Amino acid sequence: MNLIEMRDISKVYKNVGFETRVLKGVSLHIQKGEYVSIIGPSGAGKSTLMTIMGCLAQPTSGVYILDGEEVEELNDRELSNIRNEKIGFVFQAFHLLRGVTAFDNVMMPLLYCRKPPKDAKRIVEEVLDKVGLGHRMHHTPGQLSGGEQQRVTIARSLVNDPRIILADEPTGNLDSKNGAEIMKFLDQLNREGRTIIIITHDPTVANHARRVLTIRDGQIVSDHANIPQSQAGAVGASAS
Amino acid sequence: MRIFRNLKQALLGLLRHKGNTVLMTLGVIIGIASMTVIVSIGEGTKGKVLDRITEMGFGPDSFSVLAGGGRLFFPKSQNVTSLTLEDADDIAALASVRLVVPHQRETMRLVYRDQNTSTRVYGVTPDWILSRGWNLWDGRFLNADDMRRKTRVIVLGATPAKKLFPREVDPIGKEIRLGQVFFEVVGLLEEKGLTESGYDPDDRTLIPLNTSMSRLFNKTYLHSIKVMALSPSLVSKTMLDVTQLLRRNHGLSPIAADDFRFITPEGIMEWVTQSAQALNRMLVLISTVSLLVGGIVIMNILLVSIRERIREIGVRRCFGARRSDIISQFLFESIFVSLLGGMLGVGLGLGISIGLQNFSPIPTRVTWEPFALALFFSTLVGLVFGIQPARKAAYLNPEETLR
Ligand SMILES: Nc1ncnc2c1ncn2[C@@H]1O[C@H](COP(=O)(O)OP(=O)(O)OP(=O)(O)O)[C@@H](O)[C@H]1O
Ligand SMILES: [Mg+2]
Repeated sequence: MNLIEMRDISKVYKNVGFETRVLKGVSLHIQKGEYVSIIGPSGAGKSTLMTIMGCLAQPTSGVYILDGEEVEELNDRELSNIRNEKIGFVFQAFHLLRGVTAFDNVMMPLLYCRKPPKDAKRIVEEVLDKVGLGHRMHHTPGQLSGGEQQRVTIARSLVNDPRIILADEPTGNLDSKNGAEIMKFLDQLNREGRTIIIITHDPTVANHARRVLTIRDGQIVSDHANIPQSQAGAVGASAS
Repeated sequence: MRIFRNLKQALLGLLRHKGNTVLMTLGVIIGIASMTVIVSIGEGTKGKVLDRITEMGFGPDSFSVLAGGGRLFFPKSQNVTSLTLEDADDIAALASVRLVVPHQRETMRLVYRDQNTSTRVYGVTPDWILSRGWNLWDGRFLNADDMRRKTRVIVLGATPAKKLFPREVDPIGKEIRLGQVFFEVVGLLEEKGLTESGYDPDDRTLIPLNTSMSRLFNKTYLHSIKVMALSPSLVSKTMLDVTQLLRRNHGLSPIAADDFRFITPEGIMEWVTQSAQALNRMLVLISTVSLLVGGIVIMNILLVSIRERIREIGVRRCFGARRSDIISQFLFESIFVSLLGGMLGVGLGLGISIGLQNFSPIPTRVTWEPFALALFFSTLVGLVFGIQPARKAAYLNPEETLR
């Protein structure tokens, strides 16, 4: 079954005096367990597509079916539950809560669960261990390096055990070594069976995926399979 | 419970943004503190007036004539010499008058051996005890013989009696000194106990009026005359007669103001009600204005803070916070801050009230009302002024907050 199904999605931003048509009829299917990268020039509409996929915004027209549910028909409460349970976000700018420890940042999604787990503390410690930050749990973002901060966001996206990870340029603010490390985690999450969708400018990053979508000017212009090669190799910094 | 998790996030948020928290609290502190002070002053004033009523021991058929013109508790001058014993006799001769008790009054120091105490000393006629309906605890009251012979005898209230005499000593028959004059204690008044507002009616002593005039105070004019009419319905007519009589006796020209004033139970009650109303109106106005200001401060700081924390809100929404979660988080912040300000405000207000009581002539009284009012109004302020910023935060577009 399709985990993500989009049919003729368009998105128009209406501002006073003018409209911006950002997505112009996007249709795509993503199966459970896929590893997809979305590439394309700046302003092509990649991030916009991701906000729709992540139920942070509704399309202007078209149908979006996520895990069998038609998103247009859901209310704020149901959309929030979906974001909480099915999707983990990773952002280029990290978006960690300032002044809050890594532990509490990772704990945050658990606060909004319909039924918070009894062993929340253990789960948080576990995911932080998994990204190698067990010893930095009580540091605030200001006390962590960029690479460490991005590992915290990976832990945060994982803590609710979501089926889908949406990553918008996760390596964009990192040097090649830290970028490679983040990609290593994402590769591993995909091997665990999670669906990974990653937006990037960087061909080396895109090359980790097994399917590459290219968006230009609000439309999908190519959609082809990819055989990841030398996954252990460094991510090229030159491409970004 | 989800709501408690939001509450906790609110408290942590306030801790993380201490500057804003302090500013928001300040607004409410000022509002609630001023409310508290005004309530205390109101209570204090009311208490003082009720004390005066108690002190004068009024029934519905009685009133007092006080020396000196002016308004009830605000005489034009303190030492008026125009009210005399002849006035009292003339009033007693009126057909509608049952009883007249002329008073002299001074505060003096009483000494018995090595004990001394300061108390109010009244020079009165033997009818005093009838007019007050006060019982004797021991001994006898002043009598006609005392008046005629100007004897140096004194009846003590319970408070000076306790202060001057040790438990095992019977005061009756003992000699005590007032100024340079020795008096023999002949009677003790029954104890009444403190009034609700803390006034002590037992803090008084009584001596024969003739004695006080010629042997102790050495003055012939009176402080006041208590008048009891034959019935309550005759009180107002009697007051008119007394006015005429006194103006004639004092030789006042038709355009001159009265050099005496009346105190009636109704007059006092009216004054109490009026001043309470005026105070209440002021209370409502000042508290409303200052709480509004406090609320607006909270609202504005919250709005600014939401702009600063737009990322935080977006991230929370991304990871599953519902609109209702964001609303409760920010609403809890404003309510908590407001409550905190309210409690600190009551503390500050009570501090100021106690200060006023001790270091200024303004009467204040600490009661529980300000706590209840502060609790109620600060919650209300937090709720009312928090709801708009909270909704604003919740209805931010999560997609745009993270751009
Ligand atoms: N609220 C908005 N109102 C109007 N136009 C908008 C709005 N948000 C985004 N856009 C426009 O939509 C277009 C696509 O934006 P989007 O962020 O999806 O691009 P992108 O492909 O992610 O680019 P980049 O690689 O630079 O991140 C841009 O031209 C942008 O200016
Ligand atoms: Mg983008």
